[in-house]
Amino acid sequence: MVFNSYTFIAFFAIMLLVYNLPISWRAKKISLLAGSYIFYAAWNPPFILLLWLSTVVDFFVGKALYTQNNPVRKKVLLVVSLIGNLGMLCFFKYGTFLLENFVALVNTFGIDFHPAEPSIILPAGISFYTFTTLCYTIDMYQKRSEPVKSLLDFSLFVTFFPHLVAGPIVRPPQLVPQFEHPRSATRKQLMDGLLLLSLGLFMKVVLADALLSETADAVFNSPAALATLDAWTGVFAFSGQIFLDFAGYSTCAIGVALCLGFVLPQNFNYPYAAIGFSDFWKRWHITLSAWLRDYLYIPLGGNRKGKFRMYVALMATMLLGGLWHGANWTFVAWGGLHGLYLWAEKFITDRRKSTAEEKERQNRQWIGFLYAFFTFMLVNITWVFFRSDSFGKAWMILESMFGMTDSGQMVLTTMAIVKVAIVIPAILIFHWIMRNRKVIEVAYQMKWWSLGLVWSFLVLMLIWAQESGSAFIYFQF
Amino acid sequence: MDKSHERQRTGATIAKSAILMLIIVITVVTSYEIHLRNSGLQVSYDDGPALWANQRSKVYGDKEEQIVFIGSSRIKYDLDTDTWRQLTGIEPIQLACVGSTPVPILKDLANDPEFRGRLVIDITEPLFFSGIPPFLERPTDNLKYYHDHTIAQEMSFQLHSMLESQLVFLDEENLSLNAQLGIVPYIVPELQNRPGVYGALMFPLEFARTNFDRQTYMTDHFVTDTAQVGIVRNIWNGLAKMPMPPPMNDAQILAFLQDIKKSTDKIKARGGDVIFVRTPSSGPFREMEKMGFAKERYWNQILAVTDCPGIHFEEDASTKNFMCPEFSHLSRPDAKSYTSAFVKILSKHQGWDVQSEKLLTKI
Repeated sequence: MVFNSYTFIAFFAIMLLVYNLPISWRAKKISLLAGSYIFYAAWNPPFILLLWLSTVVDFFVGKALYTQNNPVRKKVLLVVSLIGNLGMLCFFKYGTFLLENFVALVNTFGIDFHPAEPSIILPAGISFYTFTTLCYTIDMYQKRSEPVKSLLDFSLFVTFFPHLVAGPIVRPPQLVPQFEHPRSATRKQLMDGLLLLSLGLFMKVVLADALLSETADAVFNSPAALATLDAWTGVFAFSGQIFLDFAGYSTCAIGVALCLGFVLPQNFNYPYAAIGFSDFWKRWHITLSAWLRDYLYIPLGGNRKGKFRMYVALMATMLLGGLWHGANWTFVAWGGLHGLYLWAEKFITDRRKSTAEEKERQNRQWIGFLYAFFTFMLVNITWVFFRSDSFGKAWMILESMFGMTDSGQMVLTTMAIVKVAIVIPAILIFHWIMRNRKVIEVAYQMKWWSLGLVWSFLVLMLIWAQESGSAFIYFQF
Repeated sequence: MDKSHERQRTGATIAKSAILMLIIVITVVTSYEIHLRNSGLQVSYDDGPALWANQRSKVYGDKEEQIVFIGSSRIKYDLDTDTWRQLTGIEPIQLACVGSTPVPILKDLANDPEFRGRLVIDITEPLFFSGIPPFLERPTDNLKYYHDHTIAQEMSFQLHSMLESQLVFLDEENLSLNAQLGIVPYIVPELQNRPGVYGALMFPLEFARTNFDRQTYMTDHFVTDTAQVGIVRNIWNGLAKMPMPPPMNDAQILAFLQDIKKSTDKIKARGGDVIFVRTPSSGPFREMEKMGFAKERYWNQILAVTDCPGIHFEEDASTKNFMCPEFSHLSRPDAKSYTSAFVKILSKHQGWDVQSEKLLTKI
C-alpha cells in the first residue's frame, strides 16, 4: 500500500478510529500490528511470511545473544542472525545479480554455463526491515541496549507500518520505548502529523510525479545520445524527483506516525543545501547514513586506526552503501563516486583547518551558497549512475551532458524544460533558506491564517495533480 | 506563559489553520465542480490501466455471456455499449486502446488458457500494421498493470471509481495539473516545442469523454462546434505528416499476418471465435487510408490468412455512408445507429447470432 493512494486514506482513517477507541493499550498495539500486516499484505500477501520469520528469529536470537555469556555460543548466535537476515536479502535482492556475475565470470574462463534465468520477485522494503532487525541483534550482541521484553512490542517495532517499507530506518531505543507505555496523539501531534502528511504527499504527487518524473524518464529511457540541454534537464529532473519522492515518503511516514502519537527520526535535512559531501550525508537519508556509520564504518576501523585505514573504511562503506540500493554495478559506482568525493573533501579539509566559527560565518554568506551549489552539481553527476540501468547508458548521458556527442537528439518539450527550470531552482533556494530550520518550527512562526493558506495550496495542488498512486522509487530498494 | 500553555496555544493555532484549510479546499473544489457542471460537462472516467484491467478481468465465463472487443480508438467510439446491451443482452468487454495496435492484447488473450470466449478485433490499418513503440505503449502498460496489480491498487481503483462517478473535475486526461499545463504552449507561442520535438497530443476536452464501460464519445456540443472539430482534424493532418517507418512489403505483411493467425488459431482451438471488423472513417482520412492501405492488400489478406470472418463498413449499405465529424470516429447518435446495424450484420455470421442467442439460452 502506498501513502499516495485512496486505499491508504481509507486504511489510515480506520486505523486512526480504532486506535482512538477506548480499548486497552495492548488491544491498541495489536490493532496497530494487524494494521501493519494488512498494509504490507496489500502489496503481496505471501511475503508476510518473510516478515514473520525475520521477526520471530531475531526476537529470540536477540534475547539469547543478550543473556548468553559463552563467547563461542554468542558468536554462533550472531552468525545465525546474520545468515538469516543477510541470506534472505542476498537471495531476494542479489540472487539474480550474483548469478549473472558468476555466469559472466565463468564464461570469461571459457566455461559454457547458461543456467535458466531465475524469476525472483523482490519483496517490498526488504532492505529496510532487514537493516532494522539486523541492528537489533548486533546491539544485543554488543549489549548496547536492553532486549525487547515482549514479542508484540518487537513485532510492532519491526512492522510498524509508517516506516516498514521505506524507512526511516529506526533503532530499537528510538521506537521500542514508545510502545511500552500507553500513549495517544495530542491535538498538536495530530495536526502536525496531518500537516506533514500533506507536505509529504505534495512533494511526492505534485512535484516528483506530476512535474518531474516524465522528464527524467524521457531522458534516461532515450536510446540515443541527447542534446546537451535535454541531458542536463533530465538529470536535474531526476535529482529533484529522487529527493522529492524519498523525502516525501519520509515526511509522510513521520506525519502518519505522529498522528498516532509516535515520533520517528528525521530522515532528510535539506540535502541540496549541503556544503560538501560529509555535510550532504548528514542531510541525505540520515538514518541509513547513521546505520552505515555505526554498523559498518566504525567496525571497519572508522577514524581510530590511522588515516589510511580511515580512507579504506570510508570507501568500503560507500561502495556497500551503493550496493544496498540495488543489485547493479551502477549503484556501486554511485557509491564509489561519493566515496571519491568524500576522500577529496577529507584530504582538502585536513590541510585547511578552519574553526567552527569561521565555517559557520562562511556558510551564512553567499560563498556558502556557491559551495552548496557546487556540491549539488557534483551530486548530479552521481545521480547519472544511480538512475542509469547500465554503464553504457550512464556514459551516454554524461557524454551528452558535456557536449561530447555530435548529433544529440532533442526529446524534451519546452514545457518539460520550463517545469524543471522552475522546480529545481525553487528547491535549491528553499533548501538554502531552510538549511538550519525545521519545517514545523517555521509553520508555527507563521500567522495561523497564512499557514492555513499555504496548507490549502498544498492540498488543492494535490487534488489538482490527479496523479495515480505510483510507487515510491525507494520501494524497489 | 508556561510550557503546557504554550503547547496548548500552538495546538489550537494549527487547528485553526486546519479549519481554514478545510474551508478553502471545500469552497474551491465545490465552486470548480459547479462551474464544470454548468458548462455542460459530464462525468468521465480515467481511461488508464486500472479501468482497462477492470474490463480485462471480465473476459472469463460463459461464451454466451460476453463478447470481447479489441482494437484502436474507433471501436471505443463506434460501439455504443447501451445499444449493444439492449439488442443482444450480452456484456460488451471493451479492451480497445486509443492510438494503439491491438496485437499485444490479442497475444495476451491467445496465451491465456482460461479465455475461451468470442473476440471482435477492430482494424485501423495504420496502427495495426505498424509495430512502432508509441503504438505498443498503452496496451503494454495496461497488460503489465493487469498482470501485476496489487490488492491495494484494486481497492484504490474501486474507491477512485466511486468518486469519479460523482465528480466531473476528476478527469486526469483533461483537467489534471499536467493536462492543463499542456495547454500553455497553445496560449504562449514562445513555449511551443523546438523543431522535431513532439509532445503529447492535446485534444479538445469534449472530444474524449469515457464511461465506466470504456466507451469513449464526443459530446453533442463538440460535434456542432466547428472550431473544436477543426482542431481534431488538424491533429490528424499533423499526424499524417509525421515521419513514419516505411510500409511493410508483401512478404512482411504475410509474415505479420501469419503471426496473427497463430493467436487467432489458439483462441479458436479452445472453442473461442474471432471476427475482424473495420469501423467507419470518412472524408480525406478515408481517402488517405485507401491510398496507403488498400483494402485488397491489407483487409482482404487479414481474412484470407487468418481464416476468420470479417465485417467491413463499406460492404454493407447500412454502414457505408456514415460520416465521421472529424473523419475518424462516429458521433454518439451515429454510434447508436452503427451499433444497431453492426449487431444485425454480425448476427448473420455463423456462431455470432448475438441478436437471438441470449433469448434462446434463457428459454
